[in-house]
Amino acid sequence: MSFATVIPKRPGEMLWFGLLCLGMMAGAVGVVQVLIHGHDHVYNVSREIPWGILISTYVFFVVSSTGLCLVSSLGDVWGFEKFAIIGRRGHLLALLTLVTGFGTMAMELNHPIRMGLYAIISPNFTSAIWWMGALYGFYMVCLIVEFTSLMRGWTRLAFWSGLAGFFAAITAHSNLGAVFGLLEARHFWYGSYMPIYFIVSALASGAALTVLIVYFNHKARGIEMPPVYQEFMYTMGKLQALFLGILLFFVVWKIIPGLYGQPPEKYETTMAWITGPLAFNFWFFELGLGILIPLIIVANRRTRTVFGVMIAGLLSTIGIFFMRYDLVIAGQMVSMRPEAVEGASHGLIHYFPSFTEIGIVIGALCLCLFLYSLAERVFDLEGGHRH
Amino acid sequence: MSNKRYAMVLDTRKCIDCKACTVACKAENHVPLGRENYRNWVMEEALRGRYPNLGQEFTPGQCMHCANTPCKRVCPTKATGVNADGIVTVENKKCIGCKYCMTACPYNARYYNEEIGAVDKCTFCEHRILTGREPACVETCPTRVRVFGDLNDPNSEVSLLLAKHPHRVMKPEMGTKPYLFYLI
Amino acid sequence: MARLLEKKVSRRHFMGLSSCALATIAIGSQVKVLKALAKDGRIDAPTGLGSKDVYSSCGMCVNKCGFIARVKDGVIQKLDPNPEFFIRSRAMLCARGNAGVKVVYDPDRLKYPLVRVEGSKRGEGKFRRATWEEALDLVAKNMNEIKDKYSRASVMFASTEGTFSEHFFTQLAECYGSPNTLRHPTLCLSSNIQGFGATFGTNPTPDVLNADFIIMSGANRSEALMTPDSIDLLRGDGGKRKLIYLDPRFTKTSAKADEWYPIKPGTDMAFILAMIHVIVTENLQDQAFIDEFTVGFEQLVPHVAPYTPEWAATECEIPAADIRRIAKEFAAAAPRAVYYQGRRSSFMANDTQMRRAMAILNAIVGNWDTKGGLIPNANIELTKHDYLAPWYDEDIPGRLDEGSVTYLSEKDGAWPAFRDRALAADPYPIKGMMVYKQNPLASVPNRAKTLKLMEQMDFICTIDITMSDTAWYSDVVLPEATYLERQDPLEALGGIVPVVAFRQPCIPPMFESKESLWIIQEIAKRLSEEIAAEFDFTMEEHLHHQVKHNPQILEDLRTKGIYYESTEPNYGRTRGTALKTKSGKIEIFSQKYADNGLDPLPVYTRPTAVPSNRYRLLVGRHAYFTHGTTANNPYLHDIMPENTLWLNPVEAQKLGLKNGQMVKVRSAVGEEKLKLEVTQKIRPDSVYMAHGFGVLSKAQTNIYGKGGSDAALIEEKYCPISGNVAMHETFVEILPA
Ligand code: SF4
Ligand code: SF4
Ligand code: SF4
Repeated sequence: MSFATVIPKRPGEMLWFGLLCLGMMAGAVGVVQVLIHGHDHVYNVSREIPWGILISTYVFFVVSSTGLCLVSSLGDVWGFEKFAIIGRRGHLLALLTLVTGFGTMAMELNHPIRMGLYAIISPNFTSAIWWMGALYGFYMVCLIVEFTSLMRGWTRLAFWSGLAGFFAAITAHSNLGAVFGLLEARHFWYGSYMPIYFIVSALASGAALTVLIVYFNHKARGIEMPPVYQEFMYTMGKLQALFLGILLFFVVWKIIPGLYGQPPEKYETTMAWITGPLAFNFWFFELGLGILIPLIIVANRRTRTVFGVMIAGLLSTIGIFFMRYDLVIAGQMVSMRPEAVEGASHGLIHYFPSFTEIGIVIGALCLCLFLYSLAERVFDLEGGHRH
Repeated sequence: MSNKRYAMVLDTRKCIDCKACTVACKAENHVPLGRENYRNWVMEEALRGRYPNLGQEFTPGQCMHCANTPCKRVCPTKATGVNADGIVTVENKKCIGCKYCMTACPYNARYYNEEIGAVDKCTFCEHRILTGREPACVETCPTRVRVFGDLNDPNSEVSLLLAKHPHRVMKPEMGTKPYLFYLI
Repeated sequence: MARLLEKKVSRRHFMGLSSCALATIAIGSQVKVLKALAKDGRIDAPTGLGSKDVYSSCGMCVNKCGFIARVKDGVIQKLDPNPEFFIRSRAMLCARGNAGVKVVYDPDRLKYPLVRVEGSKRGEGKFRRATWEEALDLVAKNMNEIKDKYSRASVMFASTEGTFSEHFFTQLAECYGSPNTLRHPTLCLSSNIQGFGATFGTNPTPDVLNADFIIMSGANRSEALMTPDSIDLLRGDGGKRKLIYLDPRFTKTSAKADEWYPIKPGTDMAFILAMIHVIVTENLQDQAFIDEFTVGFEQLVPHVAPYTPEWAATECEIPAADIRRIAKEFAAAAPRAVYYQGRRSSFMANDTQMRRAMAILNAIVGNWDTKGGLIPNANIELTKHDYLAPWYDEDIPGRLDEGSVTYLSEKDGAWPAFRDRALAADPYPIKGMMVYKQNPLASVPNRAKTLKLMEQMDFICTIDITMSDTAWYSDVVLPEATYLERQDPLEALGGIVPVVAFRQPCIPPMFESKESLWIIQEIAKRLSEEIAAEFDFTMEEHLHHQVKHNPQILEDLRTKGIYYESTEPNYGRTRGTALKTKSGKIEIFSQKYADNGLDPLPVYTRPTAVPSNRYRLLVGRHAYFTHGTTANNPYLHDIMPENTLWLNPVEAQKLGLKNGQMVKVRSAVGEEKLKLEVTQKIRPDSVYMAHGFGVLSKAQTNIYGKGGSDAALIEEKYCPISGNVAMHETFVEILPA
């Protein structure tokens, strides 16, 4: 690989990289804002809603990472030949989404450096966030080893690190669900639902992103998709139908107990989610774009074309981004002390991300895509399957 | 010397929502300005009834110094701890600002203090107790809504008040075992 | 991520700025300047000064509660209540008292003498920093010019209570030769003093701690904090006491009361007269007491005959049965019962007579000078500061407002009456205005008129600690040291148990602020030698003079922050002695009033009905601000960042207005814009707004542009007997903004 190959030449590519750079600049502006003014002044998070869009974006990234890891492991670890073709790319993107996720999280944390120190010298084993750090840290190591092994063709190591990564992904990710699920104070999150749901939604996320990689990889090179990839797309389409079906099932069973019997706080949150301030996000993005439309596309044989599957993947990825946002925000919307909040209608607190927060999110998304696009040019990501 | 179990007993029937306690706390503990920055609060409960038959309660509160302590449980770096006398504390230098404790506290007792760079909350004015003084909010309260003391001492004013009067805690269903008691 | 590049201007950063020299200072950008200063690194407090505790008295409101300032390294860390002050303030500090530290370390405080920039208009806020020398010269020059051009009476001196140093200012007025001092009572309790004074010869203090039955109207004691009443009302011996509370608003006192009646505004007298009616017709009065200590009961009985509870019920909208019952309960509890007179500004133009009715009601059941009743104030004597105002040969006219009201206080004047005459130059013009800590633009109703008054001045000088609206419209603004930075004279605080309080500096004055005595002395020096001679003493000499007869007083004050002779009330002091009334007795029937052509017994006048589509504008207090003086305090601002207009939901619906929306409030004299608060807590025929917002001064950076000013809306009706303003005689229209 020479430097020349890295420089984009075609106008389409240049546009793509240009856009990403613009996005990253927005992010950089946001970061500078934070450094100059401090969180307090540029973030819209508050005493009542301490976790905002940066946390939900972090969740989005790591869910994506987990999903990508799980789906791409199907080939390398579990021996489903068909999936081996996305092994390298899948693992690479899993790594990149994880890293950008960490970056986003660091922007939300007030003292990322202190964290490094005290997480080690003063660990608290009852803290799900501590475990989150530990497990994702381990998971990241697995991903790095796995990706290196795949690139170098060290198949044994690839298998074992893949296996370890697979389990790390599942534990780390269900533990991320537990970060929310162990909060007794937050009725909307509390319980065993969150860890399980996180795994399922990761699969949907992973499936969606995988088809996007495959599709755009060929599009970008301007080459006709070989039949093996086409076949892969159809399979992924079917799988995605299954994942989305399950996801729908989860959504329905999140809502019904939230309404049935009007359980305190849970009911208010559920209503805020489906009829209140988050309703548009829910019906349009989460349910419409995220689940129903893609489900219709991939379930219907006539629309389950390569293009159709890609569209379904794109839509559900967008939808899933909002699912994360809604989930994180909704859980905090019911005030712990309703009377304390000014302008809170029906005890609900509102949050809308600030420009800085949105800038950082856009920056993070662009950074991730940028790194991936760059990697495509730097590494040989073809033929990542063992034969 | 045996340990203490510090607690506060509040008689909200006497509270006039004068907010002396809130300002005293801000001044004592150098809480930064801003409406979201406070360690203690007085809530104006919802108005009961309809004009002209109305009623209203004012409920002061702060960190409940829970015996079963969710904020401590979730803190990844043990910045939040509980001292030997039952006071829930935050060690500033260990706080990474993840705000997990803020989401874990069912009473919204915590806020992020940008000036000290850590999550902050009521400490029962630990530094004052050490020199034999009452917490600032207790000392300044005009109508003596607030009584502070040691529950391990059966003859302390708090012990006697709790023995004599029926009382409640906030959100008992959370199982946090708060040490702020409200007389009924 | 920690904030890396900039540190906030926190209170810690603020310390130690006092020595920084500033060139010209644009008032609007003071905060910026402070921020800039904070950045240049000189942000640390002087070290090595150690810690000390200073005993002093609060200056945030009229109560003067005792506190202990915890001072460390020359910085006031905290104000703690002084436990020794228990007998007066029950060893507490309220929110304002606690917020006192921020008075000193407030970027908005006055720091240097300021002179309005030549060529700029008043109210534009263009000031330049001046030296004390220049500013004081300017003041003296203008005062002398006005005296030469008009007369000495053409300079008015407006000042306010609570500073402990006001005395020096009024002395300056007298020495200068102007009769026109305007103090706060006609914006406050002059009708109260008048009504109770005419009956008892003095304005007594209700023994709240020991009363078993209290009726309050026009005194919102859980919000308008008065020590020790506000505290005793709840602390007391709890449970036994009954509190009946009359207020058109559901206040925090309503929330604590046993019974609350949303009385129709301005009809309190009907309620009181009906109570008297019940008591005398059912023979529940304390006849022995009446026979021994009062005059005029015979005239009272026929006088109240028409005032039946049934009649009163239609007037004040309180059921007749309740009035009857309350009257009986009150009489049964007497003499450990009080109809609590409060002390606020009057509601209506007939306020003095309403207070008379209150006094009479208390008198006929014997609630006088006995445990749990109304107690004449006891006082601890201090040696008076005598001075001889210079004699001027020239012809100086008497007070401008002479004869404007029946009982005019020579020292206090009558604000609204004075203003009208000054505007008409009747009988002579007022051209100079010296203001000491008063803020007439915020406190005198009909702000537009006060602005007009200020417009016609040749010269205005304001001495204050913050840039009040009045200071903002002045030509010279002189920064006084705050109550935490200055030595104040001793003040005897009368009451059931009297005490003496004073102030001593917790820290030296910051920036170039000065003690008021120094400021007055410097002005005096520049006016004339004769005047200066009357101020030829130091504060220390003055303090020693005050305690000449008993040096222990000063000793106690310095070490404990309070002096008292007894902790127990001394009831019954006046029994067997003549009261300070004409007859020496409690005057139910006032011959003095009759002689002056006033009703000798209170006659009810019905308040003007609220016109359709209008609402009665009510004023009232809350526990976070003292009038217009503390709204900009950063701590208090956090509690209440703006005021709202209260409106009953039924009316809001009629007008199609929503909670939280901006509305225009329009009266005959002004219009203000503020947020609407739709609440059950108010009668449908009235609206309410808190005082202290809608300021004109842009240097009040926290509150400028927030909320609306009540002073801009209220019409300046006043009581013809006492001159007190009538705050509740204004009707407003509400429109969406
Ligand atoms: S100081 Fe006491 S009375 Fe005032 S608000 Fe606080 S608890 Fe209530
Ligand atoms: S009240 Fe909140 S902050 Fe205090 S101990 Fe309980 S959970 Fe922790
Ligand atoms: S009542 Fe409050 S403001 Fe008034 S003197 Fe006392 S502490 Fe100060």
